[in-house]
Amino acid sequence: MKELVTFQVGSYANFIGSHFWNFQDELLGLVEDAEADLVFKNQNIDMDVLYRTGENHQGMPTYTPRLISVDFQGSLGSMSSHGTLYNQNSSLSSGVTTWLYDEGQEIGANNANGIDKASVESHSEILDTDVVKSLEDGVQFWTDFSKVHYHPQSLFELNGLWMGAQEFNNYRIGRDTVSEGLQGDEINERLRFFVEECDHVQGIQFIVDDSGGYSGVAASLLENIEDEYTNVPVLLYSVRSPDSYTKAANRKQVISRKLHDAVSFSALSSLCKLIVPLGLPSLSENRASQFLNLQNEKPYHSSAVYASAIHSITLPFRMKRVGPAGESLNESGAMDLYEGIQIRFRLVNLQPLTPETAHDVEDLQAIESMVVHGVLGAVREAVETAYENTSTRPRFSHVSVSRCPLPIPLPFPSIFGNLVGRRGELLSNPQSGSGSGSGSRGSLDVHSIPMAARLRSTTAVLPFLENRLNNIHKLGIERGSIGADVLRDWGFGKEEVEEIGESISKMVLALDPQQGYSSDSD
Amino acid sequence: MSVRVLNPNAEVLNKSAALHMNINAAKGLQDVLKSNLGPKGTIKMLVGGAGDIKLTKDGNTLLKEMQIQNPTAIMIARTAVAQDDISGDGTTSTVIFIGELMKQSDRYIDEGDFMLILGQLIFFEKHDMALLYILFPISSTYVGCGIVRMHPRVLVDGFEIAKKATLQFLENFKTPVVMGEEPDKEMLKMVARTTLRTKLYEALADQLTDIVVNAVLCIRKPEEPIDLFMVEIMHMRQKFDVDTRLVEGLVLDHGSRHPDMKRRAENCYILTCNVSLEYEKSEINAGFFYSNAEQREAMVVAERRSVDERVRKIIELKNKVCNGTDNNFVVINQKGIDPPSLDLLARAGIVALRRAKRRNMERLVLACGGEAVNSVDDLTPDCLGWAGLVYEHVLGEEKYTFVEEVKHPHSCTILIKGPNDHTIAQIKDAVRDGLRSVKNTIEDEAVVLGAGAFEVAARQHLINEVKKSVKGRAQLGIQAFADALLVVPKTLAENSGLDTQDVIISLTGEHDKGNIVGINQHTGEPIDPQMEGIFDNYAVKRQIINSGPVIASQLLLVDEVIRAGRNMRKPT
Repeated sequence: MKELVTFQVGSYANFIGSHFWNFQDELLGLVEDAEADLVFKNQNIDMDVLYRTGENHQGMPTYTPRLISVDFQGSLGSMSSHGTLYNQNSSLSSGVTTWLYDEGQEIGANNANGIDKASVESHSEILDTDVVKSLEDGVQFWTDFSKVHYHPQSLFELNGLWMGAQEFNNYRIGRDTVSEGLQGDEINERLRFFVEECDHVQGIQFIVDDSGGYSGVAASLLENIEDEYTNVPVLLYSVRSPDSYTKAANRKQVISRKLHDAVSFSALSSLCKLIVPLGLPSLSENRASQFLNLQNEKPYHSSAVYASAIHSITLPFRMKRVGPAGESLNESGAMDLYEGIQIRFRLVNLQPLTPETAHDVEDLQAIESMVVHGVLGAVREAVETAYENTSTRPRFSHVSVSRCPLPIPLPFPSIFGNLVGRRGELLSNPQSGSGSGSGSRGSLDVHSIPMAARLRSTTAVLPFLENRLNNIHKLGIERGSIGADVLRDWGFGKEEVEEIGESISKMVLALDPQQGYSSDSD
Repeated sequence: MSVRVLNPNAEVLNKSAALHMNINAAKGLQDVLKSNLGPKGTIKMLVGGAGDIKLTKDGNTLLKEMQIQNPTAIMIARTAVAQDDISGDGTTSTVIFIGELMKQSDRYIDEGDFMLILGQLIFFEKHDMALLYILFPISSTYVGCGIVRMHPRVLVDGFEIAKKATLQFLENFKTPVVMGEEPDKEMLKMVARTTLRTKLYEALADQLTDIVVNAVLCIRKPEEPIDLFMVEIMHMRQKFDVDTRLVEGLVLDHGSRHPDMKRRAENCYILTCNVSLEYEKSEINAGFFYSNAEQREAMVVAERRSVDERVRKIIELKNKVCNGTDNNFVVINQKGIDPPSLDLLARAGIVALRRAKRRNMERLVLACGGEAVNSVDDLTPDCLGWAGLVYEHVLGEEKYTFVEEVKHPHSCTILIKGPNDHTIAQIKDAVRDGLRSVKNTIEDEAVVLGAGAFEVAARQHLINEVKKSVKGRAQLGIQAFADALLVVPKTLAENSGLDTQDVIISLTGEHDKGNIVGINQHTGEPIDPQMEGIFDNYAVKRQIINSGPVIASQLLLVDEVIRAGRNMRKPT
């Protein structure tokens, strides 16, 4: 078995993670559902890769994600950090006496209020439409729309911060928090708990909200992983919520943010095998969302799109009879750490989800892994012939195809446009949504969608890297630069800052040798 | 106001407002923690979003769980938490002492404030100041009215003198304890009991006292600093809190992962190692290339062989030491062991545990002897440790492995049991503090009489001796400091439901007679802490006296609070 352990660090990462696990839960449910489509039945996907089997104190078997989620204290909303499966009191409340008592009380209450039972029932029954609507209206915590049961070791809350979420915005604070009061040790202990159960860890997937202090938290955790589990590859998604792009209030904040981005990118990228930056400033205006009806300001909406991308990308890791796909991750060496992710919805054109990438760049050195799922027919051949015909095919490429589409769970935002059909097909006539109206269709109308996602390492990511390189040079390294003080506050010495610059410029060099020659000559 | 000129948007609090903000924050924090001090202190219940309960009276835990936002309160909280980091206890006392220093200062500053002499004596409320200047714009300068306002600097100077004197007094007051080869166990128990009784109910505290003292004595090595990490704290959600016990040996929170391995083994050799026994590619970039399935298989087998080789070496060692005897062999590995390797080991009759905690590697060696090996190339019987009994305990999906009956343990485990999570958490916090207090005593080679005796004695010393030796207004600072010291016995009395005034009067009375007494929590009568065995840590007391006045002085000297880097974004 090839297990994966998942980390979710930071608020937005948890939003994405919550959607991600909803997809998995939906897939699991559909296998057992008699009425479900046949493609879900023999989907050839091994869920044990992501899930663990356990047993609670009452001897009930449990099946929970192999996950560690780190977030602020209080960010779990109404969910208990111990989950519900392992609650000891549940056995007590299922006793026969309690049942009698409950029954009696209910009747008593009804009589007292003079309401007949039928009306109570019709009121108390929550319809699916209500669920969808109330989720559309307001999602405050990521637990609000989570339908998954978590293991008590999974959810970790950082405490003792003594500051607002706004101030938790740089690399240094994150590092300090983890080292303070043994919190880091405790998270590492939990990781050990999950890894100990695994017969053979395939890798660790790490979703981190790197726009704030959580990148520091993640860096500390990754350092430990590198120490303890030396040969375990880490796939890191550094995600950004749209509101992390809001305009900074003052110059100081602008500088601090730019430096943070550079520092955090260089720190995180050096600690993992593959880093995938995800998160556009505005998803709704992107070409990718041609058939979508997104609201940028809602993390509930945008995170769903990224979660579906992550779901698709990770499918090859879970397919039974793991082909070379399982190893493609390992083979990505130093040069291939940079990639643009492109995603297409329902076979429309692929669009990058990584910010600051150049458009329309073809690169002969590109390495890519493409996943198409939920479509019938000879997709693989189609893709291959397409590559045969173009002059600029990537150097290495891998295509994975699965017949199983992306199921849409009930708690999914109504983000589909009115041209999307029940199975994600494109319709010629607009269909009105039954739920929240106004042309957007949600989980009630769309049950599954086919998807294609492509993970690609190309020169298109150059602007992303160059921006960071320029920032660290201009603000941090040059003599008399304004950001030097900020960096010193974060505990970086002059040499360390130069090292950061060096490491980013090496990446740029690897992708763009020409630029390298010019900088060598001077 | 000049800041306003520089930046019209700046949020500024000026002089008296700034001072009062600081004083109020300090008082507020004090009020929150006050009721939890001492063995009779009450408990706080922290309820999470989903109804998770946490019960605690440990100041450190409380401060960490509370989402403090006020900047002054954060400063105080940080000092208090640092206190805990350094000395392991005294968080609540620090907060209360700082709060009281601020409160006493407030009295002096307010008293002196706005007393005006304008021909005839008029007392004005402080808020009427502005009005006064409007009413008598000329007279205030012309008549030469004097505003008798106590400057915080005067108090701070007094604090400084008082602090030095108190620390000196503490040096003479402390009770030296000779540690030597065999520490005085009774004394250690008394210190541990004093700490634990402030965190838990009496019966449990007394039980834990023995556990804690024995644990520290177990890991103590002469001439070496005590490393408390060598005491493993493990918890099981099972049975009752009084089932908590000390295991001389180690408890690991995982078990073997093979059905054929023994669940209970006697007379075991223990091999502690950090060797990967799972198949993995040696280098990331060395991915192998193959053209067909057979080739791939062959390569996998080749890679596999090196792992098997390592397992074989361990089995060889086992056969060497165990053949012909009924001894057993246990492998505890920090790295992974995959199912094929487990199979091989199980067939050889070896019990194997994988992914042990990094710290347990060190603990195992200290508990069982032998050494931790990083390679299987030169295994000798000398590397092995010994344990009389190794067995597994299963609790739901959790497995525990007990390594017991070891010969000369220098590491041990405190196994905490409790029916629910909040009991376990409460005991855990208490045990941690108890361990620290025993460690402090051994390292300080001194203790301080508790039950408020030190505070009262120090106060009398300040008032009767130090204050008289100082001239001028610094006396007021010393007075304020001395009164602030009394907050500890006062709060102890208050929390026991006694009359504070009576208690303080009878205590100071006894002290004036030359008897050093503390307060009896039940009756309020003076008692001799030495007779009752109530001792505090010297390090804790010194740290409180050291850090409290520093932070209080800084807060008192603040004359303007400017909010820098104002956020233009709307709070989300």
